[in-house]
Amino acid sequence: MARQSGSTRRDFIKSAGAATLAAPYVLTSNALGAGDIPPASDRIVVGGIGIGNMGQGDQVAFLRHPEVEYVAVCDVRTSVRNRSKRKVDAHNGNSDCQAYNDYREILERSDIDAVHVATPDHWHAIIVTDACRAGKDVYCQKPETLTLREGPMMIDAARRYARVVSGGSQRVLEDYRRIVDKCWGGQLGTIQEIAVTNLTQSKRCNLPAEPLDADIDWEMWLGPAPWAPYNAARCSGNYSTEGGSWRSYNDYSGGALTDWGAHHFGGALFAADVRELQPTEVIYGVGANGPHVTLRFSNGLLFHHNHPEMAHLQVKSDGNKKPAKAVPAYQGHGGIYGDFIECVKTRERPFRDIELAVNTMVVCHLSAAAYTLQRSLKWDEAAQEFPGDAEANRLLDRARREPWVL
Amino acid sequence: MLDQALKALKTFDWGADPQLVAAIDQAIVDTHGDVAARAVLEAKLATLLGEGVSRDAADYICRKLRVIGTSAAVPALSKLLVSAETSHMARFALDRIATPEAAAALRKALPVVDDTLKAGLVSSLGTMRDNASVESLAELLSSDDAMVVRAAAKALGAIGTSAAAKALTDSKSCPMVTDGLLACAEGLLTEGKKADAKAVYAKLADASQPEHVRLAAARGRLMCAAATS
Repeated sequence: MARQSGSTRRDFIKSAGAATLAAPYVLTSNALGAGDIPPASDRIVVGGIGIGNMGQGDQVAFLRHPEVEYVAVCDVRTSVRNRSKRKVDAHNGNSDCQAYNDYREILERSDIDAVHVATPDHWHAIIVTDACRAGKDVYCQKPETLTLREGPMMIDAARRYARVVSGGSQRVLEDYRRIVDKCWGGQLGTIQEIAVTNLTQSKRCNLPAEPLDADIDWEMWLGPAPWAPYNAARCSGNYSTEGGSWRSYNDYSGGALTDWGAHHFGGALFAADVRELQPTEVIYGVGANGPHVTLRFSNGLLFHHNHPEMAHLQVKSDGNKKPAKAVPAYQGHGGIYGDFIECVKTRERPFRDIELAVNTMVVCHLSAAAYTLQRSLKWDEAAQEFPGDAEANRLLDRARREPWVL
Repeated sequence: MLDQALKALKTFDWGADPQLVAAIDQAIVDTHGDVAARAVLEAKLATLLGEGVSRDAADYICRKLRVIGTSAAVPALSKLLVSAETSHMARFALDRIATPEAAAALRKALPVVDDTLKAGLVSSLGTMRDNASVESLAELLSSDDAMVVRAAAKALGAIGTSAAAKALTDSKSCPMVTDGLLACAEGLLTEGKKADAKAVYAKLADASQPEHVRLAAARGRLMCAAATS
């Protein structure tokens, strides 16, 4: 069977039966795979949504995989999506990559199997859940959520439609490997406490209005976030969390507490082997160095942020040696991206399955809530709320700007 | 300090130093558990909303009322619902206040706003799981505006009653209507209404549905089978 232009792996499977009754087809080497190119039946058709700083990196990683057929890019900045299209076309050796301003157009394409998402954080939940509803698998950059309510909704969408949804912290397994091996190796015994330091919260942005840059669709960039006048520093994608980029401002991001918390908290939670749990309470305190929090887990683990006496990634344990546990690994090859692609094929849950990613984000958001309210809080994982605490429960979510709905 | 900050709000606008109003943020923290003090602060903020403050100042006030607002703030907030400049931030506070008065204010504004604002009001009614809105939301499923339909379907799914499920079942299909139905079915199953849930899943298992929807329906049927009666 000749591979039709734009056909997907799934279309191929569906059409295989019908084709046996049709007139003879010409078999091309491309259809059966040639050299490093897998056959059409094994290719995964991918589109990218948000191709700024991190999105470009994700795109390069996906383009490196021979199983990926990259067909579409989406970004609300004209120059970014045009540049991205050129890169994909150069890689593919044609001019077929489609460029969109509106992510919904990518999701409407029946030929696309999966999307990778690297928009600012305030868009993640809407795009991921919409993608699941459209039957797409999703790789979503960290931090996966902006509020506590978004996580369960993303998990529900993934499970409801049996979608593969991976969060995006490659550092959890890669950067923290030494401490993970140390903790999982059994020499330390049971981990009792672990600490992470120096992550700040975002704050409200009150930057003045500037003339609108014609390159950006400002309404679409803002999306569900509150309206504010255009300012280049408000929407800059640079990595600062101390002002001058969207990562600094609470309408779009949780600041370093989530942006780097996804990595540091994620790595520490993995090392302490509690990535499948959520805390039961967050204890607020003020020390010589300022506010700090401790999150308590049901297995007794104490997880500290900015502990006055513990260093970053310092571990305390009971010292009672125990058997080593095998550290979970990525599936496929090519790091976290290869893991996602492999899971799209096998329908297994990825290393950074959305539920595990959300558990890390819960630690970030609970910490943020305690810092905002300047007091300790209890957390009910089953109900996904602060039990009996109406004030804290107001922070679970926020109304989205019309017409956007999560 | 607090009085100075409240005064500063009257001329607060984008570009102003956020420190000018920082005392209000601290007052919110400091009045935790003090109902009377909170009521005084709430009243002062709500009063400012009616005094022609800038859009930025109204935005700031609504963010504070999101945390401390009660039914007392609903009249001031409801006046902002009909304006494109302030409707979202009014909902920012109202859907967290979530009292019957807040829901009533949103329902009252539905007939007088355009489709864009209507989608917002509907989404907040869904967030509040406002059962009293089911009939109004059901009517909006036949709106010409796709985003209104989407918001209404999502809201009915969140409300999740048998009446909500019926409204979705009777409406024209689209991905959010399907999703709303699936959410309703999950809600019905949680309430022990297995037969109602099974009926929804049976409809969505139809061969005309996309593969991922049929998978969702199959999953739902398995959940029904596993559920004790």
